[in-house]
Amino acid sequence: MAEEFASAPHFVGARIPRTEDSRLLRGEAQYLDDIQIPNLLEMAFVRSPYAAARILSVDSSAAWNIPGVRAVFTFADMPFVLPQNGPSPIDQPVLARERVRHAGEAVVAVVAESRYIAEDACEAVHVAYTPEEPVLDMQAAQKDRPRRVHDAAPNVFYHQEYETEGFQAAFDTAPHRLTMTFQTTRQTACSLETRGIIAAADPFSGRMTVYCGTQSPHRLRGDLAEMLQMEEHLLRVIVPEVGGAFGMKAATYPEYLAVVQAARLLRQPVKWTADRVESFLSDVHARDDIHDLEVAFDQRGQIIAVKDHLMADGGAYASYPFSGAIGETSLAAKVITGPYDIAHLSTVIDCTYSNKVPLGAYRGVWGPVASFVQEGMVDRIAQFLHLDAAEVRRTNLVQPNQLPYRNAAGMLYDSGSFTESFEHALAQLDYTRWRATQEQARRVGKYLGIGLSNFVEPTAMASSEAGSIGYESCSVRVEPSGTVTAWLGLGPSGQGHETTMAQVLADQLGVDLEHIVVLHGDTDAAPLGGGTGGSRSGPLGGGAAMQAGRKMRERLDVYAAHMLEAAVEDIAWEHGRAHVRGVYARHVSLRDIARIAYNDVRQIPSGLPIGLEVTERYQPPRPVSFSNGTHAAVVEVNPSTGQVTVLDYVVVNDCGTLINPLIVEGQIHGGVAQGVGAALLESLVYDDSGQLLTTTLMDYLLPSAPLVPRMRIEHLVTPSDGALGVKGMGEGSLIASPAAIAGAVNDALSPWGVSFERLPIAPRDIVTSLGRSSAAPV
Amino acid sequence: MTTVDIAFLLNGRPVSLSVEPRLLLSDALRHHLGMTSTHVGCEQGVCGVCTILLDGAPARSCLMLAVMADGRSVTTAEGLSDPLAEQLRDSFQEHHALQCGFCTPAMLLTAHCLLSAHPEAGESQIREALSGNLCRCTGYQFIIDAVSSLTERGGEGDASHG
Ligand code: FES
Ligand code: FES
Repeated sequence: MAEEFASAPHFVGARIPRTEDSRLLRGEAQYLDDIQIPNLLEMAFVRSPYAAARILSVDSSAAWNIPGVRAVFTFADMPFVLPQNGPSPIDQPVLARERVRHAGEAVVAVVAESRYIAEDACEAVHVAYTPEEPVLDMQAAQKDRPRRVHDAAPNVFYHQEYETEGFQAAFDTAPHRLTMTFQTTRQTACSLETRGIIAAADPFSGRMTVYCGTQSPHRLRGDLAEMLQMEEHLLRVIVPEVGGAFGMKAATYPEYLAVVQAARLLRQPVKWTADRVESFLSDVHARDDIHDLEVAFDQRGQIIAVKDHLMADGGAYASYPFSGAIGETSLAAKVITGPYDIAHLSTVIDCTYSNKVPLGAYRGVWGPVASFVQEGMVDRIAQFLHLDAAEVRRTNLVQPNQLPYRNAAGMLYDSGSFTESFEHALAQLDYTRWRATQEQARRVGKYLGIGLSNFVEPTAMASSEAGSIGYESCSVRVEPSGTVTAWLGLGPSGQGHETTMAQVLADQLGVDLEHIVVLHGDTDAAPLGGGTGGSRSGPLGGGAAMQAGRKMRERLDVYAAHMLEAAVEDIAWEHGRAHVRGVYARHVSLRDIARIAYNDVRQIPSGLPIGLEVTERYQPPRPVSFSNGTHAAVVEVNPSTGQVTVLDYVVVNDCGTLINPLIVEGQIHGGVAQGVGAALLESLVYDDSGQLLTTTLMDYLLPSAPLVPRMRIEHLVTPSDGALGVKGMGEGSLIASPAAIAGAVNDALSPWGVSFERLPIAPRDIVTSLGRSSAAPV
Repeated sequence: MTTVDIAFLLNGRPVSLSVEPRLLLSDALRHHLGMTSTHVGCEQGVCGVCTILLDGAPARSCLMLAVMADGRSVTTAEGLSDPLAEQLRDSFQEHHALQCGFCTPAMLLTAHCLLSAHPEAGESQIREALSGNLCRCTGYQFIIDAVSSLTERGGEGDASHG
């Protein structure tokens, strides 16, 4: 691949510390709530206390009387909706219209001179409701019981069936069959910075500037224009520093429309930032799934057929533009066989409405659920046949000579290292030794368990929570002084794109990193692109940077050849200087070229345009590119307290070419930590009346430093056939880790015959089931 | 609404302010005094991104009223400027101890406090000391590495699990 670079790659593949860090370390970075705008008003919402109710009346007279209150809005004042096309026909109103459909739904918006006053005013608004019976159980909801969430539509808003040819015969004639039900309870991304938005009319042009920590700046601009009936070119979206997003900030939310509309109506800047309680009540939730599964296999544990009924509780509305329920189930149904060679598959999907917060995207979307199901299924088979868990995995893994491999759902695994990553993980972990240690420990009343998790990660897809733009774009300008500025349409939130995209460009242009600035997230400057989501920024954004860089270099080569009186093929670049290959003495600098390109334009080689600016769009050769890997965990479970301690954690990860291993490892660490939370801690709990009980970080527990294990990471590199050979990798670590940890806990508890099929597994769950279990441990 | 006059030391400099009694210290620092490195993630006393040093000890500014700072000394990340602070910043960058950066100023304050008092701290002590500072991005490992590389042991034992 060397010919893709102006010079030998210095930067792609190097562990380069990030450019972003210095402003963040000095506390100078501007997150949304740090932005200061004169005369900024603040919005607060009156939110529904009921899961389901009719709104009888809204009395806001007392609120209007509070000094500093500027406006009180209901749906009648901003009659806009987030439209739903396709399978779910129900629109989501900006503010509740006649009915409320989940606790926390915004009913009234108050605008005041400060947030303190706005909240006082919210308390002075009186809304009268008639409560209705909430729909809370997804299996009952499928039968429209106890009633419909929306009168106009049945509760099942998405239904799909799929079956491979010959499934039934294969299933019926298999030597063994097992039935199991896996369930994940609601979780949420819980970025430490909450959501927020500012809308401020630009006093010079009259256009509306919107500051928002969104993952898809261009899509948000389009959505606002369409939903609020504004002209797109009169809107500018700027993404400030974003304090974590994880898929959750990809959605367009009702509050965003309310703030922009308020700024239009009041002709004054308006801001809303969520407090943490609002976050739990209004950020999209995720992972509310049930899988009713039957699996057929032979004596060796070879899996012959899988039958899965996938269900997801989508909440009160389909989140815009990406219903988490549909995303979690439809993608899970396509990759539920993971890296295993399973010939037959039958899936049925049912997504339902309920009186809960809408389900949307959270890192990994379908993956953490599907991996938990897929690895749980393999472990159950091993247990049933009294075979070693690693052996059953070996029996089933897709072999290298089967690649590219089309799975039973029709997805093409373009390339990968399934068997290799598995064997490397076992070796890294020293699997045999841990098995021996586990035996010894049991004899002295200590319970260790080993969990294994092989994953596939579809990346760089055309369609994700970021939207359905299958390409990414990059503009590059060599400035008159010879430095380089690049713009991308991405919406990063800590992934380090300013560094990684600069690495790609530096290699393409043969300039040093410190001479490149990468900008993103301003729709006035960035070329139109999709945004960040679905692990697409590395492969697609990187592809766009590579293509734009290469295009620029081709132009610079012509300049250099012309000025050095050499052939274009003989030009080489290093440190921002072109020389004739092998003759370092004959050189010109980028600055020399830029001077001609902008100022001395009569000297421009014929056929070239004035200036040094290019915009390129990159679309990958395949609709999806698969990363893969293996996670292996060792845990100790204390049977009397239910406490789980992770003793060792190994990751073997293959995401093709690594742009920056340091950043890749950071992504893996973060995903595994979220997986520890998903497996052991995090759960959004509703009571029987549809109240969310977990609205503080004291109830919804995030993993802290002592709980997260030290991870040992090994990289394998199976390049994709896309740009640079890069595959996406933002989600794999959270896809694989809950399954690894849950598997380890179940393995530790195997002497009791206890096996959890529901996440998270809290200490209380462990203590309760061990207490119930009749089988005393060996 | 009535206001109260308060005065305190902010990053070594005297400031005075007239505040509503109900104003949170975090809001006073952020919105009245421009110290926006003091972040707000929960206002429930859990996440720790609002950490400040109050008379030298870590405190959660979201759980305090501004009036409670009267007569005290408050340090925010903007005010961390001694050599140890600079070493911490360099080490955080070198070890990739931050992603979105939202937890970072508070992490620096807590780590600074730990290293000043316990330059000999080992990995489990560091993890314990940082247990009140949540990070949703990094999985903590590189933060631990960044801090332990500045201890007297210089990060030895990094490779062994904690
Ligand atoms: S904002 Fe103070 S602890 Fe979270
Ligand atoms: S770096 Fe994002 S919360 Fe710590």
